[in-house]
Amino acid sequence: MRTRTRQRTFGVVAVVIALIWMFPVYWMLNSSFLPYNRIRAAEPTFLPLNGTVSAYGRVFDSNFFDTLRVSATVTGITVVAALLFAFLAALALSRFRFKGRRSFILAVLIIQMIPAEGLFISQFKLLEGWQLLNSVIGLSLLYIAAVVPFTIWMLRGFVNGVPRDLEEAALVDGCSRLQAFFRITLPLLAPGLVASGVYAFLQAWNEFTLSLVIMTRPENMTLPLWLRSFTESNRISDWAGIMAGSVLVAVPVMIFFLLVQHRMTSGLVSGAVKG
Amino acid sequence: MNRALRLTAGLAAAALALSACGGDGDDSTEPAAGGEDAGTPEPADLRLWLNGPDTPQSMRDWLVAEFEEQNPGSTLTIEEQQWEGLVDRLTTSLGSESETPDVVEVGNTQAPTFTTVGAFTDITDLVPELGGDDLLQGFVEAGSADGKTYAVPLYAGSSYIFYRKDLLAASGLDVPTNMQEFVDAAVKLKQDNASVPNFSGFWLPGQDWRDGAAFLWDAGGDFAVEEDGEWTGALSTPESQEGLQLVQRLFTEASGAPKDGNEADGHVPFCAGEVGMMLRPGWLRGSLEDPEIGCPDMMANVGVFALPGSDGEPAPVLLGGSNIAISATSQNQELAANLLELIMSDEFQSQYAENGLTPAKVSLASGLGTDEFAAATQEAVTNAKLTPAASNWATVEGSRILEDLFVAIANGGDVQQLAEEADAAIADQLG
Amino acid sequence: MPPSPTSSASSRAEERAGRDQGPGRPTPPTTWTGRGPAGDVAPRRPRRPRRSPLPYALLVPALAVLVAALGYPLYRQAVMSFQEYGLAQQFGQPPEWVGLDNYVTLVTDSYLWTVIARSIVFCVANAAITMVAGTALAVLMTLVGRGPRLTLQIGLLLAWAMPHLASLTVWQWLFDSQYGVINWLLVNLGLDQFAGHSWLIDQLSFFTVATVIVVWMSVPFVAFSVYAGLTQVPGELYEAAEIDGSTAWQRFRQITVPLVKPVLLIVALLQIIWDLKVFTQIFVLQDAGGITAETNLIGTYIYRLGLGEGEFGLAAAASWFVLLLTVALSLYYVRVLVREEEL
Repeated sequence: MRTRTRQRTFGVVAVVIALIWMFPVYWMLNSSFLPYNRIRAAEPTFLPLNGTVSAYGRVFDSNFFDTLRVSATVTGITVVAALLFAFLAALALSRFRFKGRRSFILAVLIIQMIPAEGLFISQFKLLEGWQLLNSVIGLSLLYIAAVVPFTIWMLRGFVNGVPRDLEEAALVDGCSRLQAFFRITLPLLAPGLVASGVYAFLQAWNEFTLSLVIMTRPENMTLPLWLRSFTESNRISDWAGIMAGSVLVAVPVMIFFLLVQHRMTSGLVSGAVKG
Repeated sequence: MNRALRLTAGLAAAALALSACGGDGDDSTEPAAGGEDAGTPEPADLRLWLNGPDTPQSMRDWLVAEFEEQNPGSTLTIEEQQWEGLVDRLTTSLGSESETPDVVEVGNTQAPTFTTVGAFTDITDLVPELGGDDLLQGFVEAGSADGKTYAVPLYAGSSYIFYRKDLLAASGLDVPTNMQEFVDAAVKLKQDNASVPNFSGFWLPGQDWRDGAAFLWDAGGDFAVEEDGEWTGALSTPESQEGLQLVQRLFTEASGAPKDGNEADGHVPFCAGEVGMMLRPGWLRGSLEDPEIGCPDMMANVGVFALPGSDGEPAPVLLGGSNIAISATSQNQELAANLLELIMSDEFQSQYAENGLTPAKVSLASGLGTDEFAAATQEAVTNAKLTPAASNWATVEGSRILEDLFVAIANGGDVQQLAEEADAAIADQLG
Repeated sequence: MPPSPTSSASSRAEERAGRDQGPGRPTPPTTWTGRGPAGDVAPRRPRRPRRSPLPYALLVPALAVLVAALGYPLYRQAVMSFQEYGLAQQFGQPPEWVGLDNYVTLVTDSYLWTVIARSIVFCVANAAITMVAGTALAVLMTLVGRGPRLTLQIGLLLAWAMPHLASLTVWQWLFDSQYGVINWLLVNLGLDQFAGHSWLIDQLSFFTVATVIVVWMSVPFVAFSVYAGLTQVPGELYEAAEIDGSTAWQRFRQITVPLVKPVLLIVALLQIIWDLKVFTQIFVLQDAGGITAETNLIGTYIYRLGLGEGEFGLAAAASWFVLLLTVALSLYYVRVLVREEEL
C-alpha cells in the first residue's frame, strides 16, 4: 500500500520532469506551425492556433526522402557495425585475460579524450587516398570509429554482468552454445545494447562537420546538411521550415527508440523467460 | 539568418548585404547530358558552386543552357552551397583533384584567405576580357595577391536606411540630408516615442560593428591602416575616436536594441513598431513585404534613403558581396575559363541588376531600375567601403574583437581605453 | 500522460513477478561484477589459457576500424603540431618544421590560462550537475510504473534527438532579451526588472544559461546509460534491504552505486571530457550576446585562434595540449577506474 502511493507520487514527478524537459521540443513543434512573424513577437504564441502546415509542405518538397535514405544507410551501418564490433571486443575484454588487454582498454579511454575539432582535415585526406569521398562507406567508417570506444566500455560492463554460471547452466540443460547465447546472454545485454545503440544512432544521425566535408555532392547530402539549407533559403532563415524539418528528422529516432525500448526495461527477466 | 552560422557567415555577412529579389533556394539544376561530339577543349562535366539564394533560379537556368550550347558535349552542374561551413568545405575539397568544383563563389572577405595560398588559378591575363577596369575595384583587390589576380567580383550590395514615414512626420522631421540631421532625428524619434518599450530612433544592436562602421568611416576613421607594409589598429586615432563617440551616442540616446544583441532579424522589432530608422541590406524589403515574415500592412509607411554623410554625400557604408574564382586543381581549366567569361558577361551580370543586386561591372549598375529602392541601392554603393584589405583580416572577425568592442561601447564604456585595447588586439591578429 | 493506477500497478506487478521467477538467478552482487557490494576485489578466474588467440581475434574488427579511421589522422595531427601548417600547406606548399613553436605560442599566451581555469570550473560544475541529475532520473525510472517511465524516457530522448540547429535556436529564443518567453513570463509574474533583461551580458549569467543548455542536452545520455546499468541490479536486493530497515539513501549508497559503478565511472569520465571541450553551445551563445573575451572556453578559444582560418598546425598543437590537460585532469580518476576495473 505504502509502496503503491510512493510509486504513484514518483510517477507524477517523472511525468512533470518529462514535460519540463520536453518544453524546448514542444517549442520546436509549436514554431513549425507558425509563420515567422508569430514565432518571434512581443507576445509569445503558446498554442499554434490558426497555424499552418505550409512549412511541412515546403520541406517535403525538397528531396527529403533522398536525404533520409542516405542518412538512414549511414546510421544503420554505424549502429550495426559499432554494436557488433564493440560486442566482440567486450567479450574479449571481460571474458579473457591476455597480454595487451590493459593497454587496449586504456587506449580506448584515451581516444575518447582526443579533441576532434581539427581532425576532419586529415580524415578527408585519408578518405581521398582510399577514394571513399562522397561514399556512404567512408563516412560510416569515421562514425563507427567515433562511437566504438564508448560502446566497448559500455558493453564490457554488461558482459561482466552476465553470470557465467547462467550460461553454463543453460548448456547443461541441453542448449547449444549458440542457443545459450541467444536465450540467456543476449537478453541480458539488451539494455546495454539499446543504450549504446541509441547513442550511436544519434551521433551518426545528427553529425554535421564530417558529413559537410565528406559528402559534397548534392545526391549524398545527409539530414543535418539538408536541414541547414533552410537557414539561407531566402536570406531570412525559414525558421518554420527548419523547425518542421527538425521534427521530421527527430521522428525516425523516436521510431527507432520505440522499436527497441522494451528491450531496455528488464534485461534478464523478460528476455530469458520469454526466450 | 541562423545564429549558429555567425562565424562563417560573419566572414561573408557582407555577401548577404544585397538588394531584394525573389530568388528561391532550390538545389542544383541537373542538366541533361549533352551530345558526344567533341569540340575544343575536351568536353567535360563542370561543377559550379554558388552560395545561398543570391543567384536566382532563372539565372542558373540561363547559365546552364548557355554554357552547354557554347561548349557542346560539356555539361554544367550548379551545386548550391551554404555560407555556413563553406570555408571548411573549400579548405578540403579545393585541394582534391577528384572532388574539387571547377568554379567557386566565395565571400569577398574570404577571398584573401584563399588567394594567397594557391587554391585558385591565376587569371590575371583573363581580367581584361572579364571586365577589366569596369569591375568593382575593391573586389578585384580582395581577389588579388602579389600583383596577380585570382578572383573577380561576382556581385555586391550595401545597406541603406529603412524608415517609418509616419513616425518622422509625427515628430515633424524631414528626411535627413547630412549626418548631423540624421543623428538629431534619431535622438528626437526616441524621445518622442519613449512610451513604446525598446523603441529605437535608430536601431543599432550592440554587436553590429558592420553597420556601425559607416559612422567610423564618415568621421574619417578606420579599423586598421597599413604603414610600410605593416597593418596596425587605427581605432584610437582622433578621427576614429570621433566616430566611435558618435556610435556611443547612438547606442545610448537613439537605440533601444539589445546592448549585446546582433543585427539579424531587424524586421522583428521593425514590424513590432519599435523602430524609427534602421540601416539594413536591401533584401530586408522582401522580408517586410512577406506576410509570413514581415508586416506588409506597414509598407505604405516605409521609406528608404541612403545614409547621408557629414558632407551631405552618401556615407561610406560597408560593402558586401562575392568573388568568383577557378579552382587550381580543376582538371578542366579551359572550360572553367569559358564558364567564368560567361558568368562575367553583360547578359548574365545585368540579370543581377534586374534582381536588385549590384552587378560586378560598374557600367551595368543602371540596370537596377529607377524606383526609390533602386535609387537608394545605387546611391549607397557610390561611397561604400570594404573592410581593411589585410590578408588575415578574417582572423580579426573570427576572434570577434570588434563585436566585443562595440558591445562594450554600447554599455557605456570608456571609448578611448576600449579602442586602445582593440587596437592592440587587432595588431596582434594582423601582425 | 500518467496511466491509471491499476494499469501502472499491474505492469509493475508483472515485472516484479517476472523478475522473481528468473531462472535461478544466483546471489547476484558477487557474480554480477565479480565483486561484492562493498567493492572488494575478487578477480574472475580466466577460463581460457593465456595464449589463446581467440581474444585477439575478437578485438580485430574494433581495432581495425579505430586504426583505419584514426591512425593516420592522429599521426598526421601529431606531425602537423610541429609544423607551420596552414592553408598554403593544405594546397601543396611544403610545410616548414618549426619544432615546439606552436606549443610555445600556446603556453606563453596568458589569456589561454585564464580560459583554461574558466573551462575547468565550467567543466566540473556541468559534469557534476549532469551526473547527479542523470543518475537521479535513472533511479526515478526504476521507481515508477511503465507509463510514467516511458513518458520520461521519451521526453529525455526527444531532447536528445532534437537536431542541434533546432535546440540551440529554441534556447536562444527562450532567453532572448526582448522577445524571449522567459522574460515575458517573469514580467507577467510581476518582475518588471526582467523587461529587456539580457541573460548573456553578465559573465556569470552567461555561464548559467550555458549550463542549463549543456545539462539539458547531456542528461538524457547519462540517464539512459545509468538506467541500462540499473536494470541489471536485482530487485530482491532492495527488498531484502528494505526489510532490514535501511533508508532509501542507504540502499542507494550501499546497493545501487557499487553495482552500477562501472557505468557511472565511464559516463562521468565522458562528461568531464565532453564538458571540457564544449564548443557549439558556447559558440552559438556568444553570437547571440555577451562578451566573447569574457566567455571563451577552451573549445571556442582554440577555434578562434585560427582553426576557422586554417591555422592547422597551431590547432593540432592545441589539440594535443588539450589532450594532455584532459589526461592530467582525469589521471586520478582514470587510476581509480583502472583499479576498480581490475585491469
